[in-house]
Amino acid sequence: MLDVQKVKQRIAELRKLPGIASKPLSEILEENGFTRRDFLKWSGTMAVALGLPASFAPVVAEAAEVSDRLPVIWLHLAECTGCSESLLRTDAPTIDNLIFNYINLEYHDTIMAAAGWQAEQNFEEAVKKFKGRYILCVEGGVPTKDNGDFLTIGPEAETGLEKVRRTAKDAKAIISVGTCSSFGGIQAAYPNPTGAVGVHKVVNKQVINVPGCPPSDRNIVGTIMYVILFGQLPAVDNFNRPKFAYGLRIHDLCERRGHFDAGEFVEEFGSQEAMNGFCLYKVGCKGPYTFNNCSRERFNQHTSWPVQAGHGCIGCSEPDFWDSMAPYEEPLANHKFESVSADATADKVGITILTIAGVAIAAHAAISAIKNPKE
Amino acid sequence: MKITKKIITKIEGEATLKLHKNQNIIEFAEIEFWQYRGIEDFLKNRHYNDASVINPRVCGICGHSHLIATAEVIENALKIKITKKAKILREITVGLEIIQNHIKWFYLTLFPSIKDIDYFKALEFSRDIAKIIALIAGQFPHNSYAIAGGITSDLTNLEIIKIKNFLLKMFERYQEIMNIEGYSKDLEILFEDIPKNIGKSLNKFLVLGNNLFFRANGEIKFVNEEKTSSFNKNALYNDKFYEVGPLARNLKNPLINKIYEEHKDSVYTRIFARLYEVNLIFEYLIKEIDKIDINEKNFIKPRNKNGKGKISIEAPRGSLIHEIEIENEKIKKYNIIVPTQFNLANGNKQNLSPAQAALINEDEKYADFIFKCFDICAICVSH
Ligand code: SF4
Ligand code: SF4
Repeated sequence: MLDVQKVKQRIAELRKLPGIASKPLSEILEENGFTRRDFLKWSGTMAVALGLPASFAPVVAEAAEVSDRLPVIWLHLAECTGCSESLLRTDAPTIDNLIFNYINLEYHDTIMAAAGWQAEQNFEEAVKKFKGRYILCVEGGVPTKDNGDFLTIGPEAETGLEKVRRTAKDAKAIISVGTCSSFGGIQAAYPNPTGAVGVHKVVNKQVINVPGCPPSDRNIVGTIMYVILFGQLPAVDNFNRPKFAYGLRIHDLCERRGHFDAGEFVEEFGSQEAMNGFCLYKVGCKGPYTFNNCSRERFNQHTSWPVQAGHGCIGCSEPDFWDSMAPYEEPLANHKFESVSADATADKVGITILTIAGVAIAAHAAISAIKNPKE
Repeated sequence: MKITKKIITKIEGEATLKLHKNQNIIEFAEIEFWQYRGIEDFLKNRHYNDASVINPRVCGICGHSHLIATAEVIENALKIKITKKAKILREITVGLEIIQNHIKWFYLTLFPSIKDIDYFKALEFSRDIAKIIALIAGQFPHNSYAIAGGITSDLTNLEIIKIKNFLLKMFERYQEIMNIEGYSKDLEILFEDIPKNIGKSLNKFLVLGNNLFFRANGEIKFVNEEKTSSFNKNALYNDKFYEVGPLARNLKNPLINKIYEEHKDSVYTRIFARLYEVNLIFEYLIKEIDKIDINEKNFIKPRNKNGKGKISIEAPRGSLIHEIEIENEKIKKYNIIVPTQFNLANGNKQNLSPAQAALINEDEKYADFIFKCFDICAICVSH
């Protein structure tokens, strides 16, 4: 798969297709004050983020240049639109952003110019015209109860369930953007009144999950870039998450990790320990059970991330985290509260989170607390 | 008479508008929302702090207001008083959320419904605003830095100075969008092709929140909800409809009042109030940030385990109400009423909601624009 020649060939072929952009990316970047060097630097960091060798940087740049050739259709289902929000603020200073604008976004409800009937028409046209070629990005969970009647969209009052199935049928690749479309998300929390599920549960094709609530812009744009580069889906873990982004635990690269290892914990928000920036495990941090790259990439142009602001990780990129990670301000190990749905949750926790490592971490936290003379 | 169904998109979710017309003139309008998620259901029986993580997901645009409302309603129920420092920092993040919401609404939702515009500048502006929120709260959208009892972040003096400088810089940059005298080139361009005086509504205004510099003119206990034929629930005050939002809460501002005297509660006044409010919020926050005493506590641990609370704050689109019942630290009942439930309610011919009243007697071709002036959030409604 990491054959540079093959990728180059692919890009050469894409280049032959008509693009939608009025001028080449290089010109657009230049107009916005970015030099060729800035762009190559960007390609370098993107290559690294995608887990590719540095020698891939020039190819990533080329892929970005032809990213207006592959049509992208973006569907909104049951959600809060937070994922699009995250994307609309893509990375520093604006190269990702310019590229996102450059991507051939054939249909996106919030940012395209057309609205209402006109929008619907554009949608139908895009699906027909790019049959078998478009990348489908879905944001939001799929309500399935009562035949999906809890979400109807468009002038034909189609249910979200029908619409996603129909659009998935002719898609080249399907990307679930956010925890909602990956695993059902917030609307799927117990008792899941609308029967919301992730996209992969209702279509019979492979779906790449880019979970997070919201996921970082880097992970969204990165996954799209990967598909453009290789014409295929990236390597994934057992929850279909791209390994390049979800390969490590939050805990592995956390800036408070030293304090964890030293047994220095915040026991109460607002305490002296909190001001010292100690580890948040005991006030509920789920970093040790969560696979994502927030501690490395951060949010809002690398400005910060929740742990930096003193609140533990809530585990938002894990399946069913709304139930299995709650209560969010308590460590998983000592569930003081019997959970909302004790049985249902116990199962989910058993399967998805409390791995041996998790238990060991809880034990470590307990022991080091005893050993710590400051306690 | 003819009835046409119109789908309103680009409003954070979708709404259906059924217009009853005589020729091109709208005689009546029905407003429907066909999405439902059930957030209040899955809050039941969880620890009250879980609400601080779940509720921001009501909406990706104004989720921060939901976070602050959640913290405040729990504090109200458990009788907790937070420090002034925590209070001011919360005001800053809520104020900034309102600002970035207004800018995106104007450039991404409203403007393109009339003519083309390069929205890149606007995105950049909101992005930088979001960065300041992230400095305080960790990330945007969706963070949980405010929990009942205070906040989790611990800012240094240096960071406070940095935030203040940021605010000053953004305030200055905003002058290009609308200056402190109320002049906005883009607003003029927008109104080149549409009349200013369309979309007059009920001329009745309601403010329930007391955050930032806003002052309530009513009491939450008089608010009631009523079911409709779609998933939306109407919000009423003493069984009557009122307009909530930036126009309602800024009517006392001399400049906005002058525009109001001239154009009444038309689309123009509504948009003007919203854009001008950004200036007022900047001015207020820049003053407030100096009052932060860095030595105060960030967080005070709640001691009570039981209580009932009901509060309102002014969110981007108007008065937002949260209500809670806590028993032994667990949520027994939670109810959320969002501003769109007031403004975009589906009333009947005898009792019209603000948006319905604004549409009636207007030409159908303006329907979409008049509707969007209220800054609808279908996502919030579908909570
Ligand atoms: S994953 Fe989170 S941010 Fe994205 S739509 Fe769902 S609730 Fe909103
Ligand atoms: S438990 Fe959380 S705060 Fe502590 S080191 Fe791990 S990820 Fe960081």
